[in-house]
Amino acid sequence: MNGNPPPRITPPVKRWTSRSIGSRLQHRIFYTLIRLGGTCLAYAVLHGVVFYYMALRPSIREKTRFYLSKRFPRENALMRFMDSFRISVALGKVLIDRAKVGIRGPDAVTLSFPDERRLFDLLAEEKGVILMNAHVGGWQVILPALPLLGRTVNMLLERDAQDVDLHYFEHARLPHPFHIIDPRGFLGGSLEMMDALHRGEILCVMGDRVFGSDKNVIGIDFLGRPALFPFSAFNIASAIGTPVVVFFSHKSGLNRYVIDIPDIIRIPGGLGRSAEAFRPYVERFVRALEAYTRDQPYQFFNFYDMWA
Amino acid sequence: MTDIKTRIKTIIVEELNFEDLKPEEIPDDIPLFGDGLGLDSLDAVELVVQIQKHFGVKIQNMDEGRAAFRSINALEAFISERLNG
Repeated sequence: MNGNPPPRITPPVKRWTSRSIGSRLQHRIFYTLIRLGGTCLAYAVLHGVVFYYMALRPSIREKTRFYLSKRFPRENALMRFMDSFRISVALGKVLIDRAKVGIRGPDAVTLSFPDERRLFDLLAEEKGVILMNAHVGGWQVILPALPLLGRTVNMLLERDAQDVDLHYFEHARLPHPFHIIDPRGFLGGSLEMMDALHRGEILCVMGDRVFGSDKNVIGIDFLGRPALFPFSAFNIASAIGTPVVVFFSHKSGLNRYVIDIPDIIRIPGGLGRSAEAFRPYVERFVRALEAYTRDQPYQFFNFYDMWA
Repeated sequence: MTDIKTRIKTIIVEELNFEDLKPEEIPDDIPLFGDGLGLDSLDAVELVVQIQKHFGVKIQNMDEGRAAFRSINALEAFISERLNG
């Protein structure tokens, strides 16, 4: 025995980065616009900025195509350009709204959460709750609502040094309201996540993001082609008996967002180590995400090539 | 080799899908994670569950896990201490 582990088959995982598209200066210009002219002025300037990027920076436009080519496979070049523009403007509006919440306070947007009671009921089970989000809608705008649930909120978050976007609490210079778990930490943060759930806390994870070091992914058809999804959170949920709450949101008006719980996934214990054991549960998340793209086709903001 | 060490190694082989490895081939002092035996985060979760199932010992927090998961020796010492404490 030479101490090396036997080979395990793991799919190739491309490195994801949270690097921002715009520079720090460009972001500050938008923050100033929000302060001076409000939402409408910032949105108006946004359209010009996005048109510039779409017309003169094909590499930026390309990033939207991974998703759009699957969601709208029969589009011609002009329609694809228009959709790239539309989805990029939608993302820009969400980022402006997030900054607005930080600058003007949580009341700057109205959050509607019809399923709030269900979430409180799950928390009362005292096995923690995994809020499984995705890069859709206003996932960053709704963050101020989470501390109102009355439990410590833990976020699995890997932040790039070149990520210059400010979270709402950074705008307001508030104390960090969340406990950040770094997936690059000891054992991918898995023991820290288990700790939090054992204490009955909330753990927020992105179900559509594969971190660079995470080899625990499974291929599931998404919009007609196999895409890679992580299943580590499902494994932890199985070990502790924690419910996985699919937790999406969408922008429903100028200053309005709706939080939805399209599915609550209960995973039995004793499923072991095999990826296939978790397939039915990851699949439920993926089906919920697919349904979201049908309802809100221009609020899907995962510009990473999940299908690679 | 103590009985606890044998049981830990058997758990690793049988529950963490190391079918090509025999329990007696795992050195007592090899690091379990990273460059040693090569276990990963998913294995850590499964190991926590299996240690509780087989020995009735809970790894309560990350600090305990960090110390216990250094090697078979460390894990055996952790379990023994909890069982005898």
